[in-house]
Parts: sequence; structure tokens; C-alpha cells
Amino acid sequence: MKTRAGVIGRLVILALFAFLVVAPYGLKPYGIYILSLWAVMTIAAMGLNITLGYAGQVSLAQGSFVGIGAYTTAILTTHGYPFGLAIAVSILLCFAVGWLLGYPALRVQHHYLAFVTLAFSTLCFLVFRNEEWLTGGIYGISGIPRPSFFGVPASSPRAYYYVCLAGLALVSLASWGLIRSPWGRAFRALRENAMRALSLGVDTRLYTLMAFAIGSTLGGVAGTLYAPLVQYIDPSPFALSLSLNLLLMVVVGGSSSFFGPYLGALIAVLLPEWLRFTEGLYLIVYGALVVVLMVFCPSGLLGLAGRLLHRTSAAADPAAEAPR
Amino acid sequence: MTPVLEVANLRKSFGGIAAVDGVSFAVNSGEILGVIGPNGSGKSTLFNCILGQLQPSAGEVRVSGQSIAGFRPCDLNRLGVSRTFQLLQVLPELSVRENLILAGQEHRGSMLSRLFGPPDAGLGEAAAQMIDFFRLSHLAEEKAGLLSYGQQKLLDAAMAFMAGPHLVLLDEPASGVNPSMLALLRERLRAINQEQGATFVVIEHNMEFVMALCRRILVLVEGRLIAEGPPEAIRRDPRVIEAYLGN
Repeated sequence: MKTRAGVIGRLVILALFAFLVVAPYGLKPYGIYILSLWAVMTIAAMGLNITLGYAGQVSLAQGSFVGIGAYTTAILTTHGYPFGLAIAVSILLCFAVGWLLGYPALRVQHHYLAFVTLAFSTLCFLVFRNEEWLTGGIYGISGIPRPSFFGVPASSPRAYYYVCLAGLALVSLASWGLIRSPWGRAFRALRENAMRALSLGVDTRLYTLMAFAIGSTLGGVAGTLYAPLVQYIDPSPFALSLSLNLLLMVVVGGSSSFFGPYLGALIAVLLPEWLRFTEGLYLIVYGALVVVLMVFCPSGLLGLAGRLLHRTSAAADPAAEAPR
Repeated sequence: MTPVLEVANLRKSFGGIAAVDGVSFAVNSGEILGVIGPNGSGKSTLFNCILGQLQPSAGEVRVSGQSIAGFRPCDLNRLGVSRTFQLLQVLPELSVRENLILAGQEHRGSMLSRLFGPPDAGLGEAAAQMIDFFRLSHLAEEKAGLLSYGQQKLLDAAMAFMAGPHLVLLDEPASGVNPSMLALLRERLRAINQEQGATFVVIEHNMEFVMALCRRILVLVEGRLIAEGPPEAIRRDPRVIEAYLGN
């Protein structure tokens, strides 16, 4: 039974991936852009899902790491450095800064930690906006080139979409490995009961810092892909609203469920498009939907799906719910 | 032979109150030592000082002759000192199997091998054996939080033994456990003590349980040791009776 579910799961994932591969052929450039944006935001949300969903460390600064990655890439590639170097620098920089941001988490938790990361988010925004010599201030950085791979330029929307999709595939495989590894188990133990974990030999300090560093790194990777996608960046997309939005993606999709960020990012990216006809009412509708979801299903949409699935299988097989 | 655990003049004050007030004792290898005392007598504080969860105000703790001042609980655990808590401390969202693997994984390999090695850290077999040993096989894949209180207590104890510790401190293992489960727990603890030579220190309020399990018992009252000896002597000791029943 379990293995059959596993096989079906794998087939569904393969089918979805195949759909993502052929999708751009049926879409206009704007549709391809939306799909690329989804891939990028999913990567950032997956990072936050590691920090928040699995390790239980609240962060309101994930958007800042997307910003750090995007600015690093924009600055380096507009000065003629290769995209590969920009990725490497973004990863190292975000890992280091994320590690440092983890230190407050060793002392404070929950909403206090949220405030610390909120302050960091504001700080980053001010740096992006005010350090004109580096970031171009409110004028931003334009003309960000799209990379080429082995001499093949990925400058068309479709070609760059495949770059984003490949990035998402790589990050997905890596996080899947991480979550299943003993590290993933230690992260969850941190969230569930840090004191007990500590008494079982888990170096909670090291794992807390790692959870921040790894989650932030994925934010940076997302930023690295974001800059060449939009080709022009200014500080406004990396304000606190992006961090909040990423938080919503994780929570709406299903915090600490591996596929939650994919679904959460899809909703966060597509819903504004679908609700465009409502004009100014969009945020009100979105907000109301989130409130309803959180009231009736705090474990997110995937939690809701799991519950419905459980109910139908229990109805089909009454023995499944019999007390043991 | 060097005692497995030595506590010398241990003192811990919270503000003006000395929760543990100059306690000294030693535990020999393979012994099962009981620690009893009325509520608030400092038993759990004593444990927390020994295990690095609290910093003692004065005195020293040595494990196998080595001073453990400044050790964090995780360092101490990797030295082979393990514990259970008074209140339930399993990881509710993890399965029984995963709780046990977690309890052993940090004792194997390096951080790097834990990242790139097998997901079960090579502990799948050991976890299955431990699950069998504590008769939890039918619940192996169940979330620990869904188990009954007594089953969670068994899991809690099993987790403490997962890494093959040589010293285990059990904080009220019997509280809230029904009689049949209690018999199983006592029998399993004895088996581990005899087969693996593990040394236990057990805090307990259930007199019957502690008297049956331990050959030597310490009595702690208001942070001080007032009596020490075999169960029969402790049962008759007028100071102990006074401490429990009052004048």
C-alpha cells in the first residue's frame, strides 16, 4: 500500500515536471515570465521552509536575502563578471550573513526573533536604497545581462525560463536530500523540543545557525536567478512585503511539508494575476482568503489536502480508522 | 575503581534559596541508585546540575574521574551520559522510529557524514531492536505524540538508551504509568543494567518501584542528603518518615 502510494507520487511528480518543461510552448512571453517568477519564488520559499517550517526559527528577513542575491548578481554581471561567479559569491555571502543572523536565535525565540529579523530586513532595505555608490539607490541597476551556458545564450524568455526551472530542479533535489538526512531530523527536533534534542547529543547551537545559513542561501540563489529575469532591479521589491509574502507562501502551502512552497508560491504569484480585475480590492481578497485558510486549516493547503485524502481513504476502508 | 559519577559538595542557589545545598555522593559502575525526597527537595535541580542544564553555584561533578564543569548537555551526552525528563519529552511530530534514530544519530560519524550519509544514519537495525525491546513494534511508524502516556514514557526511556550510554539519569520514569506498563519498564531497566552494565540514577516518588529496583537509596530533603542506605533501612529510618509525614 505504502509503496504503491510512493509509485503514484513519483509518477505525479514526473508528470508535473514534464508539464513544466513543455508549458512555455503554449504560453505568451508574459505567461512564461510568470512561470519563471514562480520557479524563483519557490526556491526562496523552500529556503524559508527549511528555516521556519522544519527548524522552527521564525524569520521575517527571507526577502532581504533574495535582495542580497539579486544585487550581488546585478553588480557583478553588469561589471562584466560571469554569471557563475555571481552565483558562487551570492551563495557564500548569503550563507555567511544568514549564519550571523542565526546568532540572535540562540538567545531569543518566536515573536522576539521575528522582531530581530524584522529589524535586519529594514536594515537591508536601507542599504539597498541609500548606498548609491554600490546599489544605484532608488534608480537601481538596469541592463542586467542574462547568462549564456557553453556559448548558448539564455536571453529569450523561454530559454531563461529553462534556466530557472533547472535551478528549481537542482534546489529541490538538494533540499529533498537535506530534509531526509539526519540533519533534517535534527532540524525538526529543534522545532519540536530543543531541550530534549540537546540532551540527546544534538548540537542545537550549530544546527540553529545552519538552519538560518542554509535557508538564507536558498534566498540568495533565488535572488541570483531573479535579477537576470527582470533585468532591472531597484530596492522596492525587496522591502519587508517580500519577506511577508514568502512567509505567506510557506504557511499557505503548508509549513514543514516538502511540497508546500511550490503550491504557496503558485498561489502568491498567480492570484494577483487572476484577481487583477478586482483592481484595488486584490489585497483585501487575498488577505481574507488567508484568514479563512488559517482559521480552518492551520497546516496549510497541503494539510487540508492530506486531511481530505485521509477522510476518503477512511471512508473507503472503515478498518483504517478503527481504534488500535 | 573510579566511580562512574562523583558529586562533591554540590550547591545550587536561586536567589536566596539553596535548592541543592552541599550534596556529595558517588555512584559505582553497574549500580542502580535511587534518589527520593518530597516535592521541592531539589532532586530535579540536582539532575540538571549534573547534566549541564544548570550551572552549579559551587562544588564539582566528575564523570569517570573527569570534571565536567562547562560541558553542554550535548557534549555530556556524547560522553555516554544520558537522561529522561520528569515531564514527557518525546518529539511528538516524529515517528517512534525517528525519535529513536535521532537519539542515536549524533553519536555516529561527523556533521558531514550525517549530511551525505544514509538517512537513517545506519541506525535502522538498532532502532528496530530497541522498538522490539520496549514492545513498541506495532507503533513504530506512529507519530510519538499519538501514543498513550505510558507508551510515551517507554519511548522516552528507550531514547535514553539508544546510544548505549554507560550512565543514565532517569527523572521519575514511573510517574503516571499504569501497573502493567510499570512492570515492563522495571523489567527492561533491570535487563539493560545486567546485560550492558549501564549505571542508573533514578529519581522516583513511587516507593514500591524504587525500592524494588534499587539496592541503595539517597534521601534528599530541602536540598540536603539526610539518609543513605539499602531500601529496608530507608523504609524504617525515622528521619525519612518524619520528612515524608511530618511530626
